[in-house]
Amino acid sequence: MSSFKLVWRNLMRRPLRSILTILSLVVAIFLICGLRTLITTLNAGVENADSRRLAVMSATGLFVELPMKYQADMERIPGVELTTKFQWFGGYYRSQKNFFAQFAIDPDTMFDMYPECQVPAQEIEAFRQDRTSCVIGASLAKEFEWKVGDMIPIIGALHPHPEDKAWEFRVAGIYHSDVPNFDNRTMFFHWTYFEETLKQGGVPPGVGVFSIRVEKGANVDDVIRDVEDVFHDSEQRVDCATEAEFQRQFVTMFGNVPLFVGWIGSGVVLAILLACVNTMLMALREQTTDIGILKALGFTDASMFGLLIAQSLFLCVLGGALGLLVAWGTQGMIAERLGTMFPGYTIRPATFGFAAAVALGIGLLAGLVPAGRAGRLRCVEALRGTD
Amino acid sequence: MTEAMIRVRDVSKSYQRGGETLRVLDRLNLEMEPGRFYALMGPSGSGKTTLLNLIGGLDHPDAGDLHVAGANLSDLSGSELAHWRAANVGFVFQGFNLIPVLSALENVELPLKLTSLSRAERKKHAAYALELVGLADRMHHRPRQLSGGQEQRVAIARAVATDPKVILADEPTGDLDRKSAEQVLGLLERLNREFKKTVLMVTHDPHAAEHAQSIVHLDKGQLGRLEENPRRAAEVARSVP
Repeated sequence: MSSFKLVWRNLMRRPLRSILTILSLVVAIFLICGLRTLITTLNAGVENADSRRLAVMSATGLFVELPMKYQADMERIPGVELTTKFQWFGGYYRSQKNFFAQFAIDPDTMFDMYPECQVPAQEIEAFRQDRTSCVIGASLAKEFEWKVGDMIPIIGALHPHPEDKAWEFRVAGIYHSDVPNFDNRTMFFHWTYFEETLKQGGVPPGVGVFSIRVEKGANVDDVIRDVEDVFHDSEQRVDCATEAEFQRQFVTMFGNVPLFVGWIGSGVVLAILLACVNTMLMALREQTTDIGILKALGFTDASMFGLLIAQSLFLCVLGGALGLLVAWGTQGMIAERLGTMFPGYTIRPATFGFAAAVALGIGLLAGLVPAGRAGRLRCVEALRGTD
Repeated sequence: MTEAMIRVRDVSKSYQRGGETLRVLDRLNLEMEPGRFYALMGPSGSGKTTLLNLIGGLDHPDAGDLHVAGANLSDLSGSELAHWRAANVGFVFQGFNLIPVLSALENVELPLKLTSLSRAERKKHAAYALELVGLADRMHHRPRQLSGGQEQRVAIARAVATDPKVILADEPTGDLDRKSAEQVLGLLERLNREFKKTVLMVTHDPHAAEHAQSIVHLDKGQLGRLEENPRRAAEVARSVP
């Protein structure tokens, strides 16, 4: 008979209690993985940002447009290698629940600026040739079963079509990105089509964000300062920041999400720790006489401490492992559900490691008090069944 | 002269109960020879179980010395005492005290885990001990699947599995019917007679005590009379060639 068998049989004295404890650990570890991944997903944009790329937006706020003519002024600033522009379209496909990000972009510069947005060359060319076409992310294509050549009607909620109808875009290409800060669930369409259509309604568009690529060897801080200085006295002052800083500001728009998520995670850990301590104290009470018997047979106080710790660790490691498995198995589905809110939701190995350490820590802490008591129990008292 | 297997010197033990100090053993002196079967009798509260626990190293005396199986128990630390128990003492309790989640074989195997035997050897030893108590066909049964008498026989198999010098039995027949009690007492007697184990049995039952060679009477924590059992003495005399 192995020691493991004794641990297992003791846990199976009350199978329902053990199973419920394991299930609560599964939920807790799954939640910890999910909550931590929300933070890492939000931070992925910051961590993966290109150090040579800058974002320029209105100093008033992200939702205030900048004049298009700023682009030419930026290109004249020393150290600026390339510029491109984006405008948030804010439309939806058929109904508002089918929401995803759409941007009007300049096809001549955008793919050069963002090489992580991988599109076959012939599809980029087809996109350039057709002003009403678009390029969509691979996840989006999969979700709506769109393919090259399909026509996609988009209702312009933020930018209604002047003829009060849906905007129509033909799929010219499907892009794929391997980096977490460039999701696969966005649609990019021609700036020219966007601009000309809005002009028909008498409302020429502005630019939401300009992207700048700094020349190799140029001082990024100098370029940032120069960009802000150039437009200091213009109709719209600008805020220029590195891509990492821009992503950071974007994340803080949600409020202090990491702190909020951290509080929830801590609450989950504390609740499950208390539940496990309770389970182990009940286990100690049931096994008090057995501990007395084992001590009488010659087992030491340390081995009784180990017996209770092993039971606690086994419960938590099993629950934790199952929780990790559930988190791993459901991440694709969760990523799909979270969609544009948290693009690139992927549980990192470090998160799995952190969650495993939490499960192990809960196992150790939950077992500490009952194991300590088991170790200190006097043999004659334990044999009487009193702890 | 044979060295005593158990030597109790001026041992005292008190308990606190309800703010009162109860002196259970009062400067007790006692010697027990190796290879003999002793019955420890006395009224309730006379200190029989307390003495048994002290001799088995399950509890510590307030004063005095205990020499059992060649060791002065006062000199041993907690873990040393545990190792000493594992090697020298087998316990048989009134309530059988088997681990309910383990089979008979696994219960008997438990004390063998503290030896250097391999897993296969442990199983072999445990199976042999169960054969010895006539339970070879019940080795995979859990305690709740056994009768009281069978449970106590498993407990005896567990007590002898490591081949200890001393077997301490606390009211081993207290919870058994007459037939089962006779089987258990017969086993203890056999362990003493054939395997030369020193057996110390606490009992209230004069019939049970008749299986012992010597009967030690305790009264109010002190040694009362010590009597020899003529039936066992005659048997021993007959067995000497």
